[in-house]
Amino acid sequence: MTTLITKTITKICLPLVILFSISLLLAGHNNPGGGFIGGVMFASIIALMYVVFGLKFTESFFNPDWSKWFAFGLLISCITAFGALFVGHNFFRSAVEFVHLPFFGEIELVSAGLFDIGVYFVVIGSLLFMFKNVGDDR
Amino acid sequence: MIDISKHIPIILIAVPILMAAIMVFLKSSPKLQKSLNVFVTLCLLALSVVLLLRVWTDGIIVYEVGEWGKYGIVLVADLLSAGMVVLTLFVSFLSLVYSLDYIEERSLNSTYHSLFNLLMAGLTGSFLTGDIFNLFVFFEILLLSSCGLVIANEKGGVTKASDKMEATFKYLVLSMLGSIVMLIAISSLYATVGTVNMADIAVKVSAMSAAGTMPWHIYPIALLFIVVFGNKAAIFPLHYWLPDVHPTAPSPISAMLSGVLIKVGVYGMLRVFFLMFRDVLPMFQPIIILLALVTIIIGAISAIGQTDVKRMLAYSSVGQIGYVFLGVGMGSVYTITAALVYLVNHAFAKSMLFLTSGGIIHHAHTRNMQKMGGMIKSAPLMGAMFLIGAMSIAGFPPMGGFIAKFILFDAGIEEGFYIPIAIALIFAVLTLFYMFRAWMIMFWGEPRDFETYGEYSSHALSPLLTVPIIILAIGVIIFGVYAEPLIALAQATAVQIVDPQPYIDAVMTRVVR
Repeated sequence: MTTLITKTITKICLPLVILFSISLLLAGHNNPGGGFIGGVMFASIIALMYVVFGLKFTESFFNPDWSKWFAFGLLISCITAFGALFVGHNFFRSAVEFVHLPFFGEIELVSAGLFDIGVYFVVIGSLLFMFKNVGDDR
Repeated sequence: MIDISKHIPIILIAVPILMAAIMVFLKSSPKLQKSLNVFVTLCLLALSVVLLLRVWTDGIIVYEVGEWGKYGIVLVADLLSAGMVVLTLFVSFLSLVYSLDYIEERSLNSTYHSLFNLLMAGLTGSFLTGDIFNLFVFFEILLLSSCGLVIANEKGGVTKASDKMEATFKYLVLSMLGSIVMLIAISSLYATVGTVNMADIAVKVSAMSAAGTMPWHIYPIALLFIVVFGNKAAIFPLHYWLPDVHPTAPSPISAMLSGVLIKVGVYGMLRVFFLMFRDVLPMFQPIIILLALVTIIIGAISAIGQTDVKRMLAYSSVGQIGYVFLGVGMGSVYTITAALVYLVNHAFAKSMLFLTSGGIIHHAHTRNMQKMGGMIKSAPLMGAMFLIGAMSIAGFPPMGGFIAKFILFDAGIEEGFYIPIAIALIFAVLTLFYMFRAWMIMFWGEPRDFETYGEYSSHALSPLLTVPIIILAIGVIIFGVYAEPLIALAQATAVQIVDPQPYIDAVMTRVVR
């Protein structure tokens, strides 16, 4: 798979897809998108990078412990969900706040967004952890 | 600050998930991992007892996740679910303590604690949820985490990695098929009644039944649920994965699988058929009784021929779950009381036997009973504990198993099911035969040929291994000698199961914000 074409295309796509996955993540809640598909998109481009550049070469400059990402996401989601208990509400109760910013106009801030960010990391971590372990030669 | 007592149901589910995340970060400090996990599990056990006591005094507790009223996910703690949660966390706690010394260090530090916590979350979640789709989600959680736990390595390594892989693959594929069937059943039910809230489904199905407009496909849906929960609980046509999976798992996990996980199937059957489908139940009672009887027969006959101690125990689990389903199928308050008492006794005795078999394997370095013998001199504690467990499973008087079998047969005769009870009684004698045969092969007679098979291990078992077994053994004896509190609890639970109106009222009268 290491032809010049795939390498070049991957290099071009990498930043675009990552930015698009983040925009999908932030678009979630009311519009199509959300943590899950954003995470899948992120994981797919990293998986493409592993395939195109080879696991060894990629690890030489980019080698995060994906299981940590998984745990980090799960931690964020759990803490968000537990957060509602501290303000006297039931578990998972979501808070909504509308903020006016001078340049962007009105922005809807929801605590469910934090939960979505957690889901994003869980999906990335679990998919790439599996992908890397199964693809590894050991 | 937070009023914890208001949030117990969700804490029992969410804290294990949180712990699973924390355990990944604590990989570098195994000591902290172990002590934190044991401490948190003990706290959860205490909280679950508090929950059971509160349900006992104040009635059914409903918890709205996210405050969406009956349109969101509700958690419902009635006596059945709270009791099952206490049982689960009790067995989990003891298995966890046992596994600290039993599981190999490398498996223990990498993923074991996280997966164990997820398994606990899956179990408590499936018992506490009041939403049928949520039940499916928690089934998936407990399935995947238990697959990961089955391939954990024990110290000494008597089970080959290839055997573990084969068993896990079988388990995974069959459970996935079960999940697909469950998804089909839930979606067709949702298409019929337009809700996934169990209490709401119950109301709508009985309204349709009263109006005479019950669609015919409620029957196939109910049949699909028998397949799903039968697969989980390993009753007759779907029992064959269990004798491969439970023996290859490390002993504490076998104790969890046989002690608690197959009871999820019984719980699901009770919940779905006695709450949601109680109007079509009379049609399915003979099917459940028939399947239960065949399960008893298959389990008992297969267990006789086994030479592997854990495989024998696994087949015995298949047979014993048949007795529980026999009580469930007969469907009156007294028989369900008997089934629940049987379930609790089997959970205690079988987890104890599996933990004991771990000690025996540790001592003899093999699972093959033919290669053991005369161990009563070298491992007297394991001999005594296995005897207590065997007596309970076989139904000998001072143990809990006797009370369980006695009231099950008494209830069956009172309800007039003479032939099923006669069959069950005959195969109860076989239980006696195979349990004591195993005990005699392993512990009586001459010690094995040391030149061919090697010496027995000389170093004594650590207290981390023996204390959980002894605690469970004390439980088994207490249930036999002083069974009244358990029977009273089971009876109150059975009354709630047979008359689900309080459950429905508790869920359906919520105010929606």
